[in-house]
Amino acid sequence: MNTAPPLSGRRMPAKRAVVSGSALVLLLAGCGGSPTATAPQATTAGGPTAAEKLYAEVNGMTGQQRRDKLVPLAEKEGALDLYTSMTSDVADVVINAFEDQYNVTVNLYRAGSETVLQRVVQEQKAHYQGNDVVETNATELFDLNTEGVLATYDGERRRMVPDAGRQEGWTATRFNLFAPSWNTKLVTPDQAPKTWEDLADPKWDGKLSMELSDSDWYLTLYGYWKKQGKTDDEINKLFSDMATGAKVVKGHTVQGQLLSAGQFSVAASNYSYIVEQAKAKGAPVDYLPYVEPVIARPNGIGLMKTAKHPAAAMLFTDWLLQEGQAVLVKEGLTPAIVEGDDPLKDVEIIPIDVQELTKNGDEWNKRYDQVISNGEQVEGN
Amino acid sequence: MTAASPAVPARKGAALGWLRRLGTPKIIIILVVAGVIGYLALVPLYYLIWGTFFDANGFTLGGFARAYGDPRVGGMIGNSLWFAVGAAVLSLCVGTALAYLNVRTDVPFKGLFFAASIIPLIIPGILYTIAWIFLASPDIGLLNKVIEPIFGPGFLDVFTVWGMVWVEGLHLSPIVFLLMVAAFRSMDPSLEESALMSGASRWQVFRRITVPLTRPAIVAAVLVMVVRSLESFEVPALLGLQNGIYVFTSRIYFVLRSYPPDLAAAGALAVGLLVLAVIGVAISNLVGRSGKTYQTVTGKGFRPRPMELGKWRPVMGGAIVLYFFLTVVGPLLVLLYTSLLKFYQAPSTEAFASMSLDNYRELFHISDATTALRNSLVLGLGSATLVMVLMAVGAWIVVRSRIPGRQLVDHFSFVPLVIPGLVLGLALSFVYLRSPVPIYGTIFILLIAYCTRYMPYGMRYAVTSMHQISAELEESAQVSGASWWQTFRRVLLPLLSPGLLAGWIYILVVSFRELSSSILLYSPGNEVLSILIFEQYENGQFTVLAALGVVMVLTLAVLVIIAYKLGAKVGLRQD
Repeated sequence: MNTAPPLSGRRMPAKRAVVSGSALVLLLAGCGGSPTATAPQATTAGGPTAAEKLYAEVNGMTGQQRRDKLVPLAEKEGALDLYTSMTSDVADVVINAFEDQYNVTVNLYRAGSETVLQRVVQEQKAHYQGNDVVETNATELFDLNTEGVLATYDGERRRMVPDAGRQEGWTATRFNLFAPSWNTKLVTPDQAPKTWEDLADPKWDGKLSMELSDSDWYLTLYGYWKKQGKTDDEINKLFSDMATGAKVVKGHTVQGQLLSAGQFSVAASNYSYIVEQAKAKGAPVDYLPYVEPVIARPNGIGLMKTAKHPAAAMLFTDWLLQEGQAVLVKEGLTPAIVEGDDPLKDVEIIPIDVQELTKNGDEWNKRYDQVISNGEQVEGN
Repeated sequence: MTAASPAVPARKGAALGWLRRLGTPKIIIILVVAGVIGYLALVPLYYLIWGTFFDANGFTLGGFARAYGDPRVGGMIGNSLWFAVGAAVLSLCVGTALAYLNVRTDVPFKGLFFAASIIPLIIPGILYTIAWIFLASPDIGLLNKVIEPIFGPGFLDVFTVWGMVWVEGLHLSPIVFLLMVAAFRSMDPSLEESALMSGASRWQVFRRITVPLTRPAIVAAVLVMVVRSLESFEVPALLGLQNGIYVFTSRIYFVLRSYPPDLAAAGALAVGLLVLAVIGVAISNLVGRSGKTYQTVTGKGFRPRPMELGKWRPVMGGAIVLYFFLTVVGPLLVLLYTSLLKFYQAPSTEAFASMSLDNYRELFHISDATTALRNSLVLGLGSATLVMVLMAVGAWIVVRSRIPGRQLVDHFSFVPLVIPGLVLGLALSFVYLRSPVPIYGTIFILLIAYCTRYMPYGMRYAVTSMHQISAELEESAQVSGASWWQTFRRVLLPLLSPGLLAGWIYILVVSFRELSSSILLYSPGNEVLSILIFEQYENGQFTVLAALGVVMVLTLAVLVIIAYKLGAKVGLRQD
């Protein structure tokens, strides 16, 4: 090795070294401009992409002709990159069923809907073709469509979806139903809530749970009551009475778990399928008969303009709206297209007001935040 | 390499000598390490700062208005500080006491409690918190049921700030434990022995000798704990919200939830934390800097020898058993119990009759479970090793070198602690989506994320140990002709090893839980365990989740034990 250089005389180079090192780092970080301030925009500045051309061509086709066109193309592409916020137990079954039917490998990225949105936007801004299809919550799809990254999809299956699920850039595939649920050991069928207004009853003070992020439920119920002729004051009072003594929980899963355990008697706005799963395992919980109107949050699918595998993307979308619907039903979800006997035909269902949510979502978030945090009345508008 | 030759003409010689000196391993290593630390810290910091102060129209302070303009901000800061300081104090007391008893005394049950005191760290925060709800909720808490005949119903209430302090403090105490174990290991007991000989009582010795000597470690622990608790999300979300107790991070959650995420407001909150942290680092260096005061590992040979507790031995043994029953066995039993059920219910004959291993069986059917385990192991071992190697050199730069600007290295290494995981994920994906090197979509982007996130802990562990090692050891090695690299490798690294090992274990364990940036950055085929946990959680499979938690605790406990068995072979040995 070497001999030790004299101790003095080592300082200067070292100093320069560190200084130039940090300068280099600053330089590296400096290039590339503003990471966050640039306004998001569609990645396709010019005309339609290759994927869009294919979509446009197939959108007009129907029935077997459409499948015959898509299947060979999709199998030639061989793969499908899917981003979804579907829970993994459902996603696994859906993907296996699709892969069994077609010779297409599905690469799955799964995360919460907010993360899926972030991921797609980040990738699109960097012109990175990460996914072909995105399947997630209505709100996030709405945002993605605003970003201009979703392509137009049409076809006979889409036209069978209810109005609320046929949005620009995306199509509903399933609904999550918000309904009150209760612990059957603590609440008898007589005591169980029959209307949404019942939740404001003082008898539930300290026994009702509300979820931290359900502002979409809040705004939809608010709008519904408004249409029913209630005044803002009356509606605010109802929510404020609900929130009085309410136990606020983050996450519907935790809410379901604590409801089974008896930490509270009633959950205001859990998803019915979570309660159904627990019930199926024998937990002392129920949500039937439904408190009406049931509030439905659509989840949907959108085709990417920049898809690397456009035929596979379209085939999967068609499939999910046809064969896939039965798979979703088997997994206990509520499908977007109901064929044959509808178990919910006598139940009044209102969809989340996606338009309002996207336009004034932040405002509603803040208001809901205030409602649950102090139970005080919120200024009506 | 050779030393500069004095024979060449003056000007040329100066230039050549300068180049040669610049080319020594020492300079290269220092340059690389400082560069890497700076790079890892500055990428997310730049992203955060830019997002905080600039929007489409240029410079703005709107984020601060939105972040701190909330009418409840006063109460929130009060709650946050109460919670953070409380948790920090609790974890400090518990962690230090355990470390002291373990390293410096002949307390019984050592083998048991060393591994067991790491367990709260291994259990994912969400499981640990929910386990405490099942134990100490006034409505359904099992402990409350047990003590009800004496104290009346609902005596313990975990849904209060004190409850939050308790759960968070216990969950964090292993960080302190690991730090303090390293500090006590490197302490010369002759100082305490002399005090005892001179007639000081044990308490006086602890207060006047032991604590002052480990002050750098204590300051580091307080600093990390306070910032960590200020940022903690699970405990305030699950325990605080229920009764409307809002803290700092609840705000960060709210501002990041909207779309596009309000990076400016999140950044404004993070900048608040950053200012706090920088002040803390400055104080800790000021405290640690005051010369040789804390250098307990000197040229004089010593062997840390355990102190005899005498008549206190059974008392301490009893206290430890009680502690472990409360904080480790209790939550773990709840998890184990839950993992055997179909759904959570209070213990009853019915519940016990329904028990089965179905949830464990289900674990085998989770697709990608083996891939995820492998990826987590690779990432955990990789990031722990990389971080500790980098930080060993980094700590040398900060503590030992005289390089101007060395404090920057310390500050930079601390930056990631205050950056929310989601923001880190966004920053990394922003950079690597545009990088010509294909890192995005591979496992390397996760490695970079983990190294960034855990750099602050690595640095605290390394710096703390470095403060305890006297410079005279290095000097004598160099006088004896060793190169800087030889000295570093053969003298410093072995002496630092208790601290480095502690940091390594900490990073290994917590990396298994990292979710907030992993979830944004992983790609198909690169799943990690924390993502599986998140998915089971989202699926509502709480019982399966509990089973996964139990398996994780067992896996990591085995790894930690192996690490300590190996670690005991290097560094300072005990009698």
